[in-house]
Amino acid sequence: MTLTTEKNGTALTVRLSGELNTLTAPELTALLNKELGGVNALTLDFAECDYVSSAGLRVLLATFKQMKAAKGNMSLANVGENFKDVLENTGLDAVFGVF
Amino acid sequence: MANEYVLRIPAKLEGMDVILAFVSYLLDINGCSAKARTQLRIAVEELYVNVTLYAYPDGDGWAEIRGSVEDGVVTFKLIDAGRPFDPLAKEDPDIMLSGEERGIGGLGIFMVKNTMDEMAYEYRDGCNRLTLRKQLN
Repeated sequence: MTLTTEKNGTALTVRLSGELNTLTAPELTALLNKELGGVNALTLDFAECDYVSSAGLRVLLATFKQMKAAKGNMSLANVGENFKDVLENTGLDAVFGVF
Repeated sequence: MANEYVLRIPAKLEGMDVILAFVSYLLDINGCSAKARTQLRIAVEELYVNVTLYAYPDGDGWAEIRGSVEDGVVTFKLIDAGRPFDPLAKEDPDIMLSGEERGIGGLGIFMVKNTMDEMAYEYRDGCNRLTLRKQLN
């Protein structure tokens, strides 16, 4: 998986390219651990990633909680059909800001 | 009788890619909708990863996947010789809770149950045998 970041003040956008699965989710965790300090608006852009398994959902949920605890926001952008299906199946579409 | 494809590998996490390549191959040569393809790949990922993490607590073991397609329905069987474990018996997570209240685990098997047309678990001859069935389109 390829991850690219764009930081604008306290806003961070991470673009994911590839599949967010058991083998690749640790890469996202590592990147967020490194980049999330001082960020209060996190956008994860899924335009190039439409496969997310439970390992990916766990990272998203943990990050969501971390952002909330710090009074910040996390949103998911450009969610594709298959990822949307996963979010709906797990009820997480109602938890995350999806657009 | 439909052709059955079989792959047996050491039950290691790093084998996940080859298991998913096997799944993709069988689905792609038989024509499968994008949605069903993703749901099936996620299902096999979740179940295979469980085997690598929990089936063999005392050492090395193997995992096998068998796949066949008949009348537009794909069947995958996941087999291992690890300790008996029925993933279908696991309690579902409460998906109505808010984000802060939600637990981190249990979503994998829940997704599998939600997206497959049919699932069956059996422990026979010292092996866990999990069968998944789903329409390709």
